[in-house]
Amino acid sequence: MTETNSAVPPSQPKPGLSNFFIATPELGPLVLLVVMLVVFTAINPAFLSLNNISNALTFTVELGLMALAMTLLMTSGEFDLSVGSVFGFTPVVMWTLFNAWGVPLFPAFIVAIAVALFIGLASGLFVTRLGIPSFLVTLGMLLVVRGTALWLTSGFPQRTWDAGEQWLAEVLVGDFYIGGMRIYMSLIWFILAAAILHYLLTKTRFGNWIQATGGNPGAARNRGVPTKRVKVALFMLSSAMAGLAGIISSIRVSAANPNSGTSYELEVIAMVVIGGTVLTGGRGTIIGTVLGVLILRLMRNGIVLIGVPGLAYNIFIGAIILGMMALHAGLDRRHNEGV
Amino acid sequence: MTDSDTPLIEMRNIEKSYGPVHALRGVNLTIRKGEIVGLLGDNGAGKSTLIKVLSGAVPYTSGKIFVNGKELTLRSTNDAINSGIETIYQDSALVPQLSIARNLFLGRELRTGPRFMDRMDQTRMNSVAADLLRRVGISKNIPPTTPIGSLSGGERQAVAIARAMYFDSELIILDEPTNNLGVAETQGVLQFVREARDTGHSCIFIAHNIHHVFQVVDRMVVMLHGKIVADDLSPKTSSIMDVENVIMGKNQAA
Ligand SMILES: Nc1ncnc2c1ncn2[C@@H]1O[C@H](COP(=O)(O)OP(=O)(O)O)[C@@H](O)[C@H]1O
Ligand SMILES: [Mg+2]
Repeated sequence: MTETNSAVPPSQPKPGLSNFFIATPELGPLVLLVVMLVVFTAINPAFLSLNNISNALTFTVELGLMALAMTLLMTSGEFDLSVGSVFGFTPVVMWTLFNAWGVPLFPAFIVAIAVALFIGLASGLFVTRLGIPSFLVTLGMLLVVRGTALWLTSGFPQRTWDAGEQWLAEVLVGDFYIGGMRIYMSLIWFILAAAILHYLLTKTRFGNWIQATGGNPGAARNRGVPTKRVKVALFMLSSAMAGLAGIISSIRVSAANPNSGTSYELEVIAMVVIGGTVLTGGRGTIIGTVLGVLILRLMRNGIVLIGVPGLAYNIFIGAIILGMMALHAGLDRRHNEGV
Repeated sequence: MTDSDTPLIEMRNIEKSYGPVHALRGVNLTIRKGEIVGLLGDNGAGKSTLIKVLSGAVPYTSGKIFVNGKELTLRSTNDAINSGIETIYQDSALVPQLSIARNLFLGRELRTGPRFMDRMDQTRMNSVAADLLRRVGISKNIPPTTPIGSLSGGERQAVAIARAMYFDSELIILDEPTNNLGVAETQGVLQFVREARDTGHSCIFIAHNIHHVFQVVDRMVVMLHGKIVADDLSPKTSSIMDVENVIMGKNQAA
């Protein structure tokens, strides 16, 4: 980029289309998104209406916040199955403190997020200090956290609040209109989080460490990169984002259901891998994840609009995952054979 | 800085046990400035353990390590890097997904802007990397933004060695750098090791192929069952067969 002297083209003889696809993992999901927009709109023009888009985006950001953090965690070579449980548990903590203990909302919010951070810390320490695979650690955590939420509430949804305006609720999920389109604050938070995490991953030293930790942990360690601390920090980030998303959701629907978020972890991981982030680490893209979030959301929304039963949703998502993975595997194979 | 008689590295009576396995038994090793030392020994002799101790990757049970005459405690790889000891492992030197420039500066990234922004100075990192690639004469036409994954094995070794030279490591430890390389690439890497020595770096060179060792080292050290059994074999005065016999413990070293 800043290259001045050696303006000679790369010696590697693979400038073809497949190489471009590999160097730009966002390209696949982008093409898919455009195709979906075109097809759905052609079948039902209401698909592109402001109202529909605004509705589609509301719920999206809650899963999207989790997917953004999960992208960084997966780039470092780990993943977190407990995010759906944390999504359900964190608001239960907050509203229980608020309702039953009389704690003001903002301190209750801080405590709830701290609890989420602690859950991430615990997962991170189990994975990095004891060397247990994140699949097992976070599966255990999924059950512990969900079980705690159910036990604390005896399985009943918590009320959110009775009286008056709460500034925190306005900040998190308030809404405003831009030219007839209703925008929720949570969308602003999502965009902000995406921008910050994209910057973090691509421009900062910490981002370099995240990619190195997932790409070749031995090499990263040999260069003095604190790979364990990187992973623990990302487990904490992932958990905190899941907690925040859960709180936003609880305010939006005016209830903290201890069951909410069940199986979200799979949808979140689907968003991330469809976006082009590699499950085994080393390569991740926030832009891809944003596309993955939109793809899954528009798919859910679109198939209903064009008259396919909503129950068929999972068929499409599963097919997209398999198709995307096949595309990447095929490109990788061709790439490697070319060497 | 220090007078030239002080050895660069002095390991005294180093012991290392992995539980019941006694991997290093009272190892004494001296590395002088600007020499290439070949470290030889059969599988399980303790070569890897020795260099892991020296690179701070595993703690040693007892013994002392001096660098430039000063006693050091190596508790982490960072301790070793900060004292000028750089270890290049075959498969864990570089991150394939990251560019040449980002690998070059991994863990030592150049920064720009306010500290809390943690922003890398990628412009400067790329131009330094381009400069280095040009200077060392390899891969003249490979841009510094190329991912390591698309380089050949020899080019990767060269990048790793160039990194050690750039950060002015006094001791560069190469663990089997010529494994899986073709003939031409091996020669390239060996030439690179010589260049490192000629610019004042010391090297420890580990390789299974004794021919490669003979081509490049000033002195050979042989380990057997956790001990150093010969530490001053010269490629000029010993034959390959002599050295092989010492490695197999067949006769005493001169
Ligand atoms: N992490 C470890 N845990 C237990 N034993 C080990 C470990 N690493 C090496 N050893 C043992 O220490 C001895 C020396 O091994 P090593 O230093 O790898 O030898 P070399 O590199 O010369 O082949 C061998 O007996 C080996 O089995
Ligand atoms: Mg070995």
